[in-house]
Amino acid sequence: MIEAHNVSKMYSRGVYALRDLSLRVDKGEFVFLTGPSGAGKSTLLRLLLRKESPSEGQLIVGGRNLAELTPRQVQSYRRSVGFVFQDFKLLMAKTVLENVAFVPRVLGMGLSQQQRKTFQVLKWVGLQHRMNAYPLELSGGEQQRIAIARALVNDPLIILADEPTGNLDPDLSLEIMNLFREINARGTTVLVATHDRELIRRVGRRALTLDRGQIAEVA
Amino acid sequence: MRALQYFVSEAAASLWRARSSAIFAVLTIAAGLFVLGFFLIVNANMQRVAARWGEAAEMSVFLKDDASPSHLKMVDDLVVGSGLAAERQFVSKADALTKFRQEFPDLAPATARLERNPFPASYEVRLRPEAQRAGEAVDGLAATLGGVPGVAEVRYDRRWLSRLNAAIRFVGGIGALIVAMLAIAAGLTVANVVRLAAYARRDEIEIMQLVGAPLAYVRGPFIAEGVLQGGAGALLAIVSLALVFSAARARYGSLAAEALGLGSITFLPVELCVLLIVGGMLLGCLGGFAVARGVR
Repeated sequence: MIEAHNVSKMYSRGVYALRDLSLRVDKGEFVFLTGPSGAGKSTLLRLLLRKESPSEGQLIVGGRNLAELTPRQVQSYRRSVGFVFQDFKLLMAKTVLENVAFVPRVLGMGLSQQQRKTFQVLKWVGLQHRMNAYPLELSGGEQQRIAIARALVNDPLIILADEPTGNLDPDLSLEIMNLFREINARGTTVLVATHDRELIRRVGRRALTLDRGQIAEVA
Repeated sequence: MRALQYFVSEAAASLWRARSSAIFAVLTIAAGLFVLGFFLIVNANMQRVAARWGEAAEMSVFLKDDASPSHLKMVDDLVVGSGLAAERQFVSKADALTKFRQEFPDLAPATARLERNPFPASYEVRLRPEAQRAGEAVDGLAATLGGVPGVAEVRYDRRWLSRLNAAIRFVGGIGALIVAMLAIAAGLTVANVVRLAAYARRDEIEIMQLVGAPLAYVRGPFIAEGVLQGGAGALLAIVSLALVFSAARARYGSLAAEALGLGSITFLPVELCVLLIVGGMLLGCLGGFAVARGVR
């Protein structure tokens, strides 16, 4: 599903965020990316979201070389990817329902389809009873569940999560990871970047450790 | 249709969120279009004055007291042959005196004390309206008539009407310049308001980009926002213009109409009002588009 071939990302003054990185994540796999701050985890996710392109090498997702996508193809590609961030990236002036329905709405889905899909995912993450609340009225765990619902509402093939539990306590973190496990069980490929080794141990999935932009360990 | 609905609802919500700056932009557009509308009203009425006066343009061929019937016939032949005359009439010395007494009754007693009739006989020619555009032909006719024996003087309105038309064009040009400057100011104001809106919605834009929303969905609300502001500004301008016009007409309308020789002073025709609204929307659209273009 995801293949990186000798990918490097260099920023100004010759600083490498990723250096000659190669990896493979199969379809339907759940993989952790771990490593210290500055190891290159977020950079790899940014490349996978096609917010940036590699300086060298090839990043292939679902058979498509991300560097060669036209702007229109990037839009189409991103519709197959769900994302979850540490800071949730919720729209605070919108309700839970509006935050999730925002995605099908801007993708041009019909109203009934928007409502059906939004309600489905909110029910799935257990927030159907809070759908008229605003994000700030909810706990951190609930906010992250909104973000997960938003990532799922478009039935993505891949979920990319960048430190999704970074702002949560251990119990809530495990709760969120269980959601990711359930998502993965439905066949969605999940790639989670985290520096929380204890959480990785408890979830028990393949983990790729990055260090200074390179794969340091596969476990 | 769904996309359009989305653009308009998002734009309306965004305008409501930043209503104070949006009101400022709408007022700026309204001011620009108010001035444009004012110049258009002035221009339309002046055009009517010019057309009316053009229709009434006359050429007077004053005859010497010793002009013979053959001189008169030469004048008549030249006028008819030119094809520039709509009507022609011979006014004898006696007719001229009678006309003077009728038009200036206060001065009539003074003419009774005159030993001889001082008014010359004349040949009055009402020019065709097309003669306004055939200036050189009219000038040529006047010069030819001036050279006919028995003709004392030829007077006509064309130069004056040409000056009036030139004045109308000049006022129109100044108006266009002012309007262009106000239009640029209005466009820039809209662009700044929309830019503020884009900044306020940067989180939404980021999410839209990340989920792969079509570019039209990302940019559309900004353009719709500009169009709404432009339309509202134009509507406000027309309503204000109509109110000011009605008030001015109630007070000075008959005076102005009489001074200009028109039946009444008229407001902008409906088509022009529609055009102003479309123009305002277009202006807003350009402002919105300038910002939307930068959102990728």
